[in-house]
Amino acid sequence: MAFFVKISAPCSLAGHGTTSSSSGSSRSKRGLLLPVGAGAGAGAYGGRQYSDVVPVPALSQAQASSSGGRLRIFSGTANPRLAQEVACYLGMELGRVKIKRFADGELYVQLQESVRGCDVFLVQPTCPPANENLMELLIMIDACRRASAKTITAVVPYFGYARADRKMRGGRESIAAKLVANLITEAGAHRVLACDLHSGQSIGYFDIPVDHVYGQPVILDYLASKTICPDEVVVVSPDVGGVARARTFAKKLSDAPLAIVDKRRQGHNQSEVVHLIGDVRGKVAVMVDDMIDTAGTVSQGAELLHREGARAVYACSTHAVLSPPAVDRLSSGLFQEVIVTNTVPVLHHRTFPQLTVLSVANLLGETIWRVHDDCSVSSIFQ
Amino acid sequence: CKKIDQLRAVNGIPPYAPVSNRSLLSPVTLPIIRDANIKNDTRLRIFSGTANPSLSQEIASYLGLELGKINIKRFADGEIYVQLQESVRGCDVFLVQPTCPPANENLMELLIMIDACRRASAKNITAVIPYFGYARADRKSQGRESIAAKLVANMITEAGANRVLVCDLHSSQAMGYFDIPVDHVYGQPVILDYLASKTICSDDLVVVSPDVGGVARARAFAKKLSDAPLAIVDKRRHGHNVAEVMNLIGDVRGKVAVMMDDMIDTAGTIAKGAELLHQEGAREVYACCTHAVFSPPAIERLSSGLFQEVIITNTIPLKEDKSFPQLTILSVANLLGETIWRVHDDCSVGHEPYSSLDID
Repeated sequence: MAFFVKISAPCSLAGHGTTSSSSGSSRSKRGLLLPVGAGAGAGAYGGRQYSDVVPVPALSQAQASSSGGRLRIFSGTANPRLAQEVACYLGMELGRVKIKRFADGELYVQLQESVRGCDVFLVQPTCPPANENLMELLIMIDACRRASAKTITAVVPYFGYARADRKMRGGRESIAAKLVANLITEAGAHRVLACDLHSGQSIGYFDIPVDHVYGQPVILDYLASKTICPDEVVVVSPDVGGVARARTFAKKLSDAPLAIVDKRRQGHNQSEVVHLIGDVRGKVAVMVDDMIDTAGTVSQGAELLHREGARAVYACSTHAVLSPPAVDRLSSGLFQEVIVTNTVPVLHHRTFPQLTVLSVANLLGETIWRVHDDCSVSSIFQ
Repeated sequence: CKKIDQLRAVNGIPPYAPVSNRSLLSPVTLPIIRDANIKNDTRLRIFSGTANPSLSQEIASYLGLELGKINIKRFADGEIYVQLQESVRGCDVFLVQPTCPPANENLMELLIMIDACRRASAKNITAVIPYFGYARADRKSQGRESIAAKLVANMITEAGANRVLVCDLHSSQAMGYFDIPVDHVYGQPVILDYLASKTICSDDLVVVSPDVGGVARARAFAKKLSDAPLAIVDKRRHGHNVAEVMNLIGDVRGKVAVMMDDMIDTAGTIAKGAELLHQEGAREVYACCTHAVFSPPAIERLSSGLFQEVIITNTIPLKEDKSFPQLTILSVANLLGETIWRVHDDCSVGHEPYSSLDID
């Protein structure tokens, strides 16, 4: 029995038009014990009942080793549904891992199958609660290292602290994104797979290889499936920092024109819209950002766009952080549609009628396969 | 010993030497060094590489010091040799060397200077890099590329530098490439002071970013320039060092357009942007930038009549043959000198006249 079978169908990177409403439960609802992947079918384990203490049968282990695949995917607790989708794309089961929290808040991780000599991928976005999820990832990496994994890849669909990527002028501040990069490297990761880092330069914070993939093609494919006339579209960057990202998007969206909201922020997490640079009158405005957090920026931008005569406003973003009061702002009627991906799980109580959640599982799965098989990753985007 | 005697001879007050280049920073008297500090002061050493000795001299003059003696030469096979000609044992050493073209030569010279200081038992070594070569290589824009800015950061650290002082890195995230402290200063205040001294009505101004990557920089500039409005040239480039102007986002009709960038290299981007601004009805176009790389054919483009004035600083030395009538060179020597003094003195407060320079 082959332990691993790659899907032979042609690659469908974008999951064309796929809508995946991820409503993973919050971690607190699961109590202290959080087995991940244990619910999967019997598969290679021949119907044997899952148990903490039963060792992996020697035969299965031998089969796993001899298959030559040596590919293993484990999930942290931050986004198990995405990890499961990724594993399904690859025709695999998630590896069994026990993750629990002690009474004092400390985390405990135990791999429940051998990873000796394996190429291990750990899927864990460091979305809120950022420090908990980061620590869990670091402990998983360390567990794999001590269990003699051959290579360890941190798959971080959403990279917490990514926005902490510079010291402001005269600041006595950390560059926390760099610190996190150092922590992941010191924990023992050999490489990183990240999705839509806030700034492209952040790849340089690592001394290990970083594969940087983008949610943009997934969103572009979805938009292409809608009946919006290309002549009517203007791509809008909600702030000056994201103009390069929006412009890349505009080029790929039938070379659409670009507009920028020049927002002169008065303080942290406060927004003030001053001016629109460009023209959206009578057009469909597609706002593009890498993430939506409290949605202040994107909401004030949308209000401005409506005042400037936009016919409809869409918001697109890879990372749906959706900190309060994001859902109230996004569902208030400013947006025709809010299009996000599932790099950060969208909890059920945060859904609203205009929300569309696309999946990056196929994109991540294909990248993982290519990383494992030492094939080209960048050709995914050509 | 001579150094100490020389300092004592002037009663502990360092001489204030006026800067030879046009510098618009208002003259500020350095703090009077108390006798107790003289001993400490002899620990401060500034050495220059060969890339920009006149800037280094200006900095030393600002601080009332002489440049340290150093022998830098090149062997017949191209290898670089550095020897310090005075002791730096226990000293706080600042090495001034922009890694401007020829980038690899100047970088290697800096690394060898750092290594020489380390082996000569310097206590602290600070690399003062007014222009950071390879700064634009700050991301993998396609696969299978180096992030050379990160590599250079690693090389400087491995050579033995304890800290770095840089001016206008191409992206501010690049500070994160270092694991040692980085003081990042900006040429912007120097340029702003100069523009403020010109008689341009603030209502007439529009600040223009010549590309989408520099919008944040241009906007910071616009805020400080009487909160001027902003426009952006949306240029869709089709290859390295080939520029193609597509569209102006914003309005410059009847206005004075001030194009703001961190550097001008071949001047293709900024020249085509200026053409577009004239087509869009700008009354005048100024170009401002900190780093004048001026690779060919920059001079021809900049002096062709598109610009009312091209305002740069001296982070990169400009040879006589690269001068032209519209060019104005401002000096960052006082800015760097003041920063060096504060780094050396572990100082971040006081000297209010410089608070607007955002020196921590």
